[in-house]
Amino acid sequence: MSTEKEPIVHIQEHSKDRVKFILENVDLALANSVRRVMMADIPTVAIDMVEIESNTTVLPDEFIAHRLGQIPLVSANCDEGLRYTRDCNCMNGCKFCTVILSLQVSCSEEGKTMMVTSNQLEVIPQQDLYDDGAEEMSKRPENFGQPVGKDDAAAEPILICKMRKGMELKARCIAKKGIAKEHAKWSPCSAVGFEYDPHNRLRHTTYWFEDDVKSEWPLSENAQLEEPVKEDEEFDYNAKPNKFYMDVETDGSLGPQEVVLKGLQELQTKLANLILGLKAEPEADTTAHGEAGFGQAEAAPPGWAVPAGAAGATGGGWGQNQALTNGTGGGGAWGSTSPRAGGSGGGAWGGAASHTRYWWRMGCWC
Amino acid sequence: MVYPQQPMVKTKTIELINYDKLPAGQNATVAVMSYSGYDIEDALVLNKSSIDRGFGRCQVVRKNTIQLKRYPNHTKDVISGHRLDENNNPIFPHKAIGSDGLGEVGMRIENGQIFANKCVPTNAGESVLGNDAQNGEARESHRETPAYYKGPEPSYVDQVMMSTSDNDQTLIKVLLRQTRRPELGDKFSSRHGQKGVCGIIVQQEDLPFNDDGISPDIIMNPHGFPSRMTVGKAGVLNGSLEYGTCFGGSKLEEMSQILVDKGFSYSGKDMLYSGVNGECLQAYIFFGPIYYQKLKHMVLDKMHARARGPRAVLTRQPTEGRSRDGGLRLGEMERDCVIAYGASQLLLERLMISSDAFEVDFN
Repeated sequence: MSTEKEPIVHIQEHSKDRVKFILENVDLALANSVRRVMMADIPTVAIDMVEIESNTTVLPDEFIAHRLGQIPLVSANCDEGLRYTRDCNCMNGCKFCTVILSLQVSCSEEGKTMMVTSNQLEVIPQQDLYDDGAEEMSKRPENFGQPVGKDDAAAEPILICKMRKGMELKARCIAKKGIAKEHAKWSPCSAVGFEYDPHNRLRHTTYWFEDDVKSEWPLSENAQLEEPVKEDEEFDYNAKPNKFYMDVETDGSLGPQEVVLKGLQELQTKLANLILGLKAEPEADTTAHGEAGFGQAEAAPPGWAVPAGAAGATGGGWGQNQALTNGTGGGGAWGSTSPRAGGSGGGAWGGAASHTRYWWRMGCWC
Repeated sequence: MVYPQQPMVKTKTIELINYDKLPAGQNATVAVMSYSGYDIEDALVLNKSSIDRGFGRCQVVRKNTIQLKRYPNHTKDVISGHRLDENNNPIFPHKAIGSDGLGEVGMRIENGQIFANKCVPTNAGESVLGNDAQNGEARESHRETPAYYKGPEPSYVDQVMMSTSDNDQTLIKVLLRQTRRPELGDKFSSRHGQKGVCGIIVQQEDLPFNDDGISPDIIMNPHGFPSRMTVGKAGVLNGSLEYGTCFGGSKLEEMSQILVDKGFSYSGKDMLYSGVNGECLQAYIFFGPIYYQKLKHMVLDKMHARARGPRAVLTRQPTEGRSRDGGLRLGEMERDCVIAYGASQLLLERLMISSDAFEVDFN
């Protein structure tokens, strides 16, 4: 589409942990994808395993472990600076895939409640086992893996638990890289605001009101940036939203700039993988079994219901008496002896790309 | 409950009984809408991220009592230490116990492991009389009757206590603790008897959200309302706690005014965006914090299935009840269903031939 305008990003506010911007001339789907990716797919570091050596505080071990897990750790450039433990070639944790923090607190003061906070977590340097990841290490900032706000006196540390005299807490925490799809502690965002069409020009929603919409539904701040809908304005039912107000607030593990940029990068990678997957499919099909399979899947009506062609007529399967009396039995349900029927069986499942290969195996072996 | 909060809407009674000092629920952000079909019939949709962050997390503590008895012939039960294998590691059932035979505080205990290794004398029932030498020898022989932990999920030893009971018998109590996060089938309730079980757990990015990026912790189906008239909402945004009764509590007008001042509609309804495609939802959604409590009915304690298992001695029928690994009853109505389906031969085969039939050997 040549008439399409270039996307515009207009930054309204930018601070240490939040960015407010307007995204223009993009599709609603894209804007929402960006939002979703920023929330769920950006890798960060968070404490994933806690080895408790001694815990005589009032809180049980799991409770403390859960609290430790949710402390945001500085994970700038975590994408390149740290490996996923599952991708690393170490046996059980090395300095390229984990960050180790220790918490060693005991209280000896009489009659006073002591606070155990995130500032008491110390990053422990790990020994070199392999020497192939020096490049990764150099990409990490100096305070990588430290609790957020530790080097900032103004920031209030995060409370882990409280203790009285004679209590002790010793733990070794192993932080790993992960994404928020797995657990919310890996999410770099605390909230992502998203709004479009503050005046409801597109009538995507219907306001509920008693007397008057305008007086009963307060407008958001962003409404001042757009023209209000005039009384006599004609409703354009073809109009599409193209201006999105986004407000990204992070928990400090990543800066807002990094969140947005990494988010876009992540989205790009995902789409690239999808395109790659779609391209590879026809090739795989042709190498496997000629023209049948996927191609047919699109052309043929749903494979199940149709008595599969003339030959043998067994692929139709399931409820059909014919298939059973023909003596193919259970095989009838799953495509059968003739390769042709196997192909049409593939039609039923072929819609999902990953299934076609599986189907080919079935077709060959039955 | 792991992270209790005091309710944002309260009554005088709550203050009188100090419920706000020892609460048992959380102020969940609730959207009253239909979502995905997994919320029909009073089911709830939960936000996975909220659960990750500790919403509805609770700890279940179970007490186990073991008595060490004395017998009339001067023998008594004892506790023996853990047994080691050839590599000097404790054998699997004894992993959680120490050399004193009791569970060690903080140890993880799995299904089939022991938390107290009790031993009963083999000759407890024998006569009191007899010479000392015989008794002395007999006293030494014991049989292990340990207390096994049974459950699909592991527990942790929380506390161990040793004491004596009224009749001078040693008493051991072991507290076992489990931390549970909400899962499918757990039961939650607001304070209006508006209870429901969790039907599905959804990722936060798939849930609807408002223009500030707030997404609900719970989605509740509106169909529960009309027939039961159990609406109760805390639309309080200015940080104060309000009284939520219609008899001289906080005034509706004042509450609505607060909502309007903070940029919301006075009715408490909000415009939400779909998390899946980003479009705003056609309808307004009632959105806001409601105090929710987790009820003690959790699937983990209730789930049960059986393929084969124990039978009652008298009737040779499968035993009854979950605790005895019992069968699930195929009742009269279920039987009717099978017949109506046309599978009456199945009934004959399953319930008669391969179940009731019994071969007796006359030799």
